[in-house]
Amino acid sequence: MKKTLIGAAAVLGMMAPAVQAQDLDEVTLQLKWVTQAQFAGYYVAEAQGFYEEEGLDVEIKPGGPDIAPEQVIAGGGADVIVTWMAAGLAARERGVPLVNIAQPFATGGLQLTCLKSTGVETPEDFPGRTLGVWFFGNEYPFYAWMAQLGVDTDGADEDGVTVLKQAFNVDPLLQGQADCISTMTYNEYGQVLDAGYAPEELANFNYLEQGVGMLEDGLYVLEENLEDPEFEDKMVRFVRASMKGWKYAEENPEEAAQIVVDNDMTGAQTLDHQTYMMGEVAKLTAGSNGALDPADYQQTVDTLLSAISEDNPAITAEPEGAWTHAITDKALN
Amino acid sequence: MTLVAAAIVLWAAGWMLNVRLATGPVAETRAAQLAVPIIFGLTLLGIWELVVRGLDVPGVILPAPSVITATFAAQIDILWQDFVQTFVKGALSGFAMGCVAAFAVAILADRTDFLRRGILPVGNFMAALPIVGTAPILVMWFGFDWQSKAAVVVVMVFFPMLVNTVAGLQDTAAMQRDLMRTYGASYVQTLIKLRLPAAMPFIFNGLKISTTLALIGAIVAEFFGSPIMGVGFRISTSVGQLALDMVWAEIVVAALAGTLFYGAVAAIEKRVTFWHPSHRR
Repeated sequence: MKKTLIGAAAVLGMMAPAVQAQDLDEVTLQLKWVTQAQFAGYYVAEAQGFYEEEGLDVEIKPGGPDIAPEQVIAGGGADVIVTWMAAGLAARERGVPLVNIAQPFATGGLQLTCLKSTGVETPEDFPGRTLGVWFFGNEYPFYAWMAQLGVDTDGADEDGVTVLKQAFNVDPLLQGQADCISTMTYNEYGQVLDAGYAPEELANFNYLEQGVGMLEDGLYVLEENLEDPEFEDKMVRFVRASMKGWKYAEENPEEAAQIVVDNDMTGAQTLDHQTYMMGEVAKLTAGSNGALDPADYQQTVDTLLSAISEDNPAITAEPEGAWTHAITDKALN
Repeated sequence: MTLVAAAIVLWAAGWMLNVRLATGPVAETRAAQLAVPIIFGLTLLGIWELVVRGLDVPGVILPAPSVITATFAAQIDILWQDFVQTFVKGALSGFAMGCVAAFAVAILADRTDFLRRGILPVGNFMAALPIVGTAPILVMWFGFDWQSKAAVVVVMVFFPMLVNTVAGLQDTAAMQRDLMRTYGASYVQTLIKLRLPAAMPFIFNGLKISTTLALIGAIVAEFFGSPIMGVGFRISTSVGQLALDMVWAEIVVAALAGTLFYGAVAAIEKRVTFWHPSHRR
């Protein structure tokens, strides 16, 4: 009965074309965001036939501002998702037992970008300012950082800041509505530069360098599925092919950008922007062979645990079994 | 499975009770007329609770009503703060500004034929603008706080209010107007004594449509950038945190606010247009 209900939810998400070749195993991948070079590895693996070589038929479902991958996988709409570790751990604590099976992004691209002309040059300048923050699971690093700095988030005064829920664009900075905004190295930061600001005019705080970095785009599956050897085998092949796609994308950024643009059904992405994005994303994936570094995992967990509050309810206890090397050990040998 | 079976039993019991009440000898009493929808609602909630628990539906897909109630009670201060931000500041102020402005424009349009022909198409055009397109722009113009939400609400309620008021002002017979003229009544006198009262059912129609539009506008506008409070903010961010119980608690707040707002306007209408055939008993 439980299966049917969850299955019904899954059907809603799987209106896509049926399999062509019957001997291929189907895998549905739910991305965290819209089709862009942030996910180039998967699109390249698909376009280059790496998935097919592994006997997989992979459906890549783009996300968007109103799609929580954790919810999609809980509803049975995907086999594997791309998400940030903080959101993944939060989901785990709320009863969606996600397990990290691979971590193609070795470092993170989240930053807080401020206009120097507004007087922000160091984190000590934050109090009294208005900061733009992305929510939807992306707010955890921000609140952890503010907790570490001892800055209140309930309004601008000498020891607090005003937090704005920032849409996924850079308008608040350009229009002077916020002193600092969230950017990704590979996307919005480029938009700020495109808007005519020189890097010298901007104060850029990378969350990793501030010691509150959290692992971004990892691959997560449901714990119970891993007990099924068949599913495990599928994931081994999926991770192997995906990492091959990532390395190919790193080496051939222009081709990867073109593949991404070709896969963008909305037609919103431009080749220029995707080429820039691919170049920046390659820096984040460069250090990773796909296996999660337990030290990075621990840093994410420690940062989250050090800043538990109403605003930052990500996790309240040390998670157990939230990652495994079982897949990558087999996939990468 | 036993819980699911219990849900079916509960459904059958609720149904039977309601059929008895609605067709039995007490059907005409006020108590029975109140009891029937209440029993229906409670049965639905009961079935929801039992099915969710019985089938072990994950809380991130659909939380049980009891969980939602517990969250509602525990987070009452946050919910109140969100209510004030979205409903009182965003929706109500936008509703007031939009309706007053539309009313004023309707009077002007009624006075001059030139305006009537010019402004109605413009109003029509405004009503056709999709909120998801205008909201980000208005946020850009009026900032992140409630002002931009009120602006979205103004845009949303303006047209229904305008059209209804203009139609209402034309809802007098030539004979009635001629009679006023024979009394030597001025334009203003005719307007206040004859045409506005006659327009009241239309005006209230516009106001009632606007109540729900105002709430929708204020909530949806918060999806496009907001300070860290408000019903729309909480709904959009709690989904990301998989706190679906909180999302449902906010939905309850929005539903209650919307229902009471509509009810209040409908109650005022009943007192003002007591003479209208539809209110005769």
